[in-house]
Amino acid sequence: MSGVSAIYKKELANYFNAPIAYFIIAVFLLGTGYFFIYNMFMTGSASLEITLQNMGILLITVVPAITMRLFSSEYSGKTIELLMTLPIRPWEIVVGKFLGAASIFLLMTLATAINLIPLFLYGNPDLLATISGYLGFVLLGLACIAIGELFSSLTQNQIIAALLTWPVLLGFWFVGHFKVFQQTGFLRSFSDYLSFTGHYANFIQGLVRSESIVFFLATIAVALILNTSYLKGRR
Amino acid sequence: MISLENVSKRYGSKEIIHNVSFNVNKGEIVGFLGPNGAGKTTTMRMIAGFTAATSGKVMIAGHDMADQNYEAAKKIGYLPEHPPLYDVLTVRSYLKFCAEAKHIAKAKIPSELDRVMQACQLDAVVNREIFKLSKGYRQRVGLAQAILGDPEVLLLDEPTAGLDPGQIQETREVIRSFGENHAVLLSTHILPEVTLICKRIAIINDGRILAVDSPESLQSAVAQSNKVTITVIAEKDELKKTLLAIDGVTDAEISEPSQSNGVVKAVCHVVAEGRIESKIAKEIATRFELLGLEKEQPNLENVFLRYVGKN
Repeated sequence: MSGVSAIYKKELANYFNAPIAYFIIAVFLLGTGYFFIYNMFMTGSASLEITLQNMGILLITVVPAITMRLFSSEYSGKTIELLMTLPIRPWEIVVGKFLGAASIFLLMTLATAINLIPLFLYGNPDLLATISGYLGFVLLGLACIAIGELFSSLTQNQIIAALLTWPVLLGFWFVGHFKVFQQTGFLRSFSDYLSFTGHYANFIQGLVRSESIVFFLATIAVALILNTSYLKGRR
Repeated sequence: MISLENVSKRYGSKEIIHNVSFNVNKGEIVGFLGPNGAGKTTTMRMIAGFTAATSGKVMIAGHDMADQNYEAAKKIGYLPEHPPLYDVLTVRSYLKFCAEAKHIAKAKIPSELDRVMQACQLDAVVNREIFKLSKGYRQRVGLAQAILGDPEVLLLDEPTAGLDPGQIQETREVIRSFGENHAVLLSTHILPEVTLICKRIAIINDGRILAVDSPESLQSAVAQSNKVTITVIAEKDELKKTLLAIDGVTDAEISEPSQSNGVVKAVCHVVAEGRIESKIAKEIATRFELLGLEKEQPNLENVFLRYVGKN
């Protein structure tokens, strides 16, 4: 486990010693603030439902910018040679990096909680729905990060890593829409099951379904395992 | 400590390392010589565990790289060709990361960092970000990373590249003192460096090991076209006749005598044979006034060029 913690600390130091992390957090908060104010004044109801929905799509555009450098920069900076020859196991590298990027994301998420202050001060929102909405948002974010990390490990070019991640995340976001084109019931429910939007919508509505939790956790696990095997295979 | 047995590496259908075998023992610095593209870096990478050998066995301190990669990695300090540095980190935080990754006990990390920073003369730049460092400093941060945790095996891929003469000497000193009770494999282009600090040399070309021996034996093995130069006061033609009469001297080139004192220089081509220089000295000294005699040894450069087939 000490390998995970060493990698994790290095990732955080790397994020915060360069301007990217600050920039990404700023862009995300700016977007979230805009959606929050717009939705509040448009609907006039003290609910985060639509704002969380908007935050989801915003997250999908921001995550590749967080994850693109995870492995790509190690390849292009030749530091992968150090990582792979230190006494650290490949899974420790993958998990340490995942936790590093996840920390940036959680920090970002925590900062959006500032919106909750006026919401609870001047309105009477559903507390449980807000909590479950945030839980869904966190799970969605972690799944996106795991996928982004996997694609970052495939190329030494950060831009290509981001360009590979975007369509995949958007695919997971929109795959639910394909169900109307499916003839067979199995394909319909399968495209529904793969849909980030569908699972996320449950959380936003205050519905914490174990099926959705398992879906996001399984997505994370599959991406991290594939990532680890890819690193091992590179030898 | 390091042992390679019939190690080969293939990328696709192309085999770039063919049946390489050699070993490095504890307390020994072995120089790894070869022209660019000979397979030095690939071999180093296989020993370090960055790439796996296609066939053959790489053993590090009793651990097989194929299945005990993790255990072996604990014994190795590795400085790759390009020092693997994180530019945005400071020297201290970079080395701290490496120390943690090498499982050095938390309490020991500060003293260990001080030790390597002192050995590699990094005190002046401890808190500077790595991207601000000169090439020489970057190289030394890489070296400091490699010797962190006092690994039993040290692999250095061109450690003195980019250093100025003063730094080269200091770095050599670090490597030499490290080599006293560790196993060090040093790949380099700089031939005098090898003669200075290495006990043995492995010469590689085209993915094949051509020779593994001490610098002296390699030199004497190729000592075929030796030359003996004598400085003498003598008459030119007479000297030439005397020299050619000596058994073993095949030819002699004699310079014009100096105007002031009549000193001439003669370069004798001799067959590779023991003590030919003393035979020449004896013959010449009895008849002329011999002022000096010098036997030209093949330097490592010639040895190297001979082995890699360019001479």
